[in-house]
Amino acid sequence: MKRRFALGLRAQLALVALALLALPWAGVSFVNELERTLLAGQERALLATARAVATALHDRPLLLEAAPARDDAVRREAELELQRIAQSEGRLPQTAIAQLPLAREAELAARKAQEEIAAILRGVQRTESRLWVVNRRYQVLALEGGLRRSTREVHEDGLLREAWRHVAGWLIRRPSEDFAEAVPDDVLATGRDIASALQGTPGMRTRLTPDGRAVVMSAAHPVWNATEVAGAVVVEETTNPIASLRSDALERLLLLTLVAFVGAAAILIGFATRLSQRIRRLRDEAESAIDARGRLARIAAGSDAGDEIGDLSRSFSAMLARLAQHHVYLESMAGRLSHELRTPIAVVRSSLENLKLAAAPEEIRTYVARAEEGLARLNTILQRMSEATRLEQALRTAERERYDLAAVVRGCVEGYRLAYAATPIVLEAPARALEVSGSPDLAAQMLDKLVENAAEFSPPGETVRVWLEEQGRYALLAVQNRGPTLPAEMRSRLFESMVSVREARSGPVPHLGLGLYVARLIAEFHGGAIEAADAPGGAGVIVRVHLPLTR
Amino acid sequence: MSRRIAIVEDDPAIRANYAEALRKHGFEVSAYGARAEALAAMRARLPDLAVIDIGLGSDADAGFELCRELRALSASLPIIFLTARDSDFDVVSGLRLGADDYLTKEVSLPHLLARIAALFRRAELAREPAVAEETLERGALALDLKRFSITWRGKPVALTLTEFWMVHALVRHPGHVKNREQLMREANLVVDDGTVTSHVKRIRRKFQAVDAGFEHIETAYGMGYRWKE
Repeated sequence: MKRRFALGLRAQLALVALALLALPWAGVSFVNELERTLLAGQERALLATARAVATALHDRPLLLEAAPARDDAVRREAELELQRIAQSEGRLPQTAIAQLPLAREAELAARKAQEEIAAILRGVQRTESRLWVVNRRYQVLALEGGLRRSTREVHEDGLLREAWRHVAGWLIRRPSEDFAEAVPDDVLATGRDIASALQGTPGMRTRLTPDGRAVVMSAAHPVWNATEVAGAVVVEETTNPIASLRSDALERLLLLTLVAFVGAAAILIGFATRLSQRIRRLRDEAESAIDARGRLARIAAGSDAGDEIGDLSRSFSAMLARLAQHHVYLESMAGRLSHELRTPIAVVRSSLENLKLAAAPEEIRTYVARAEEGLARLNTILQRMSEATRLEQALRTAERERYDLAAVVRGCVEGYRLAYAATPIVLEAPARALEVSGSPDLAAQMLDKLVENAAEFSPPGETVRVWLEEQGRYALLAVQNRGPTLPAEMRSRLFESMVSVREARSGPVPHLGLGLYVARLIAEFHGGAIEAADAPGGAGVIVRVHLPLTR
Repeated sequence: MSRRIAIVEDDPAIRANYAEALRKHGFEVSAYGARAEALAAMRARLPDLAVIDIGLGSDADAGFELCRELRALSASLPIIFLTARDSDFDVVSGLRLGADDYLTKEVSLPHLLARIAALFRRAELAREPAVAEETLERGALALDLKRFSITWRGKPVALTLTEFWMVHALVRHPGHVKNREQLMREANLVVDDGTVTSHVKRIRRKFQAVDAGFEHIETAYGMGYRWKE
């Protein structure tokens, strides 16, 4: 039996496989942790570089006092602004605000100093970092290096990898080397790290480039002149190397996850398919293990398997075997019972007959007559009980012949008109022959059963309709009465052995629910089928038999 | 001298009942409960007629064996099977072994007596020269009502008593349909419809063995059978 909203095994396994999603999540968490560690390392490295440069500049106040080479209006304005802010916070002395005219000598000295600083900076500068030195007046004294990495080292992979990167790019953003290298002015304007360094404490800062495409990390370290801060060294680097490591890792993770997913999914689906196939095969066999006639077949599916399905199959088989024994017992029960009862009945009968032969008084004769009447009824029951068994035996050995079904039906109906005086029987049959293959005697027996049923359930005086017609390759034989409709729960079981819609009641004729079963056996012997349905409008019941015509 | 009938039946009550009933009708009856006992007694002195049950005690087919052994002792001894088994298979087996009739235990005593009497008559007359006294002729068919024998186109058709009476019932009024019940009554047989059908089939086959073109017993479906001239 199938339920409508049931999830198949495959769907269930697919749902369970969603648990695999925890793996990429864990991977991402791990990559993020790694990134944090790397960033901390980078931070320390930057600070160390800044400290190293600052150490080189300690106690060389002259170098830092010089005015910067570039001395444009914008810078001045920015510096003024910064100084104002600093003053308002009470960090710079009031006097420092005055604009100093640049003397020629001072300019030369400054250039010299700058070159010296630049030389020092070049000594420690790395390709991806930018170093600059700023004096107390927020003047940038020297600047070395750039933030951009050379793009060549980034792209050196195969075409396939390239394509994959492109695809993965939808999910994982790679760091771009195409960002605006901020002019130090902006950095100065907002640099908390620098401010902190000029206060005497090394500072760190992480910021976005002005266009927001990259993250720049900077470290500032104060340059000491004796006990006061003379300036600051700033080291900047983008986090791009780490970010690209991270996105590499994520890409690899994504690729691995996808491959693992596809692999796992393929394996799981394959496994589930195999499993559900085996179970389905078992189910199909189990469903058809008991055929329409109630016979039992053996279950072969998975019976050799060593796993639970094999166990299931074997216990099914064992159960069916036990059921089959029971079934055989039941099947032969009626026959055996009637056989076993014959001998005691013969004892009773022969005793009664002997009693009749003896010169017995009238009183005894009455009782003997009654006993014989009961005996006759008992005999009828026995005959009915063994009828189906006998028919099954007969069907096994019956010879098939071609015969005209129409002639049989016409003959039978003529007979029924005599037999069922209270029920008018209407026949509609074609005049031409309808040839079928089987046994005319059995067909007559089948029609006997159908008409007997129809007449019994027919209200007195109402007609029973029997009709025969050609429907394609089949002959349709139908019997309709105007009696009560079929109880819904019985409809599918009507043609099984020992099933009766009659209410239990005592009557002269015993009913064991074998009549329609016998009819079905005969219909099937003819290669046909039998069905019962309510007549349209609830006007009685129609039993239809389809028998294949011979050509 | 009264005729001797041997009854072989394992159920003591039935055995006693039949034995007494037959004795009341003037037969001398010896009753046996087992095959070995019956065979030994009959070897010593052959009865005039034997009524045998198929299942004797634990041996389900003892009656068949006994029938074969009796037939070996005497080809002319009338043998009747009287048994609870009514499947076609058993009937065919029994008759093939040479029994003269096959009755189920539903048969009433009067019917059984009628058969026994008929068989005795047939056995007796078989020994006398054939004098056509009571015969019924229908075309190529000739029924000897005394010997219960039938010839078709001059050739004998080996029918059992039951079958003989059925043919007799059909032939008496050619063209008239006899339903199964009537046939049963005429054949002194109480069985169900299916048995009549298989009896008729066997009769047809026996006629066809003599004459392959035999088609004179016609089925009127739903009603019965008739003899077609």
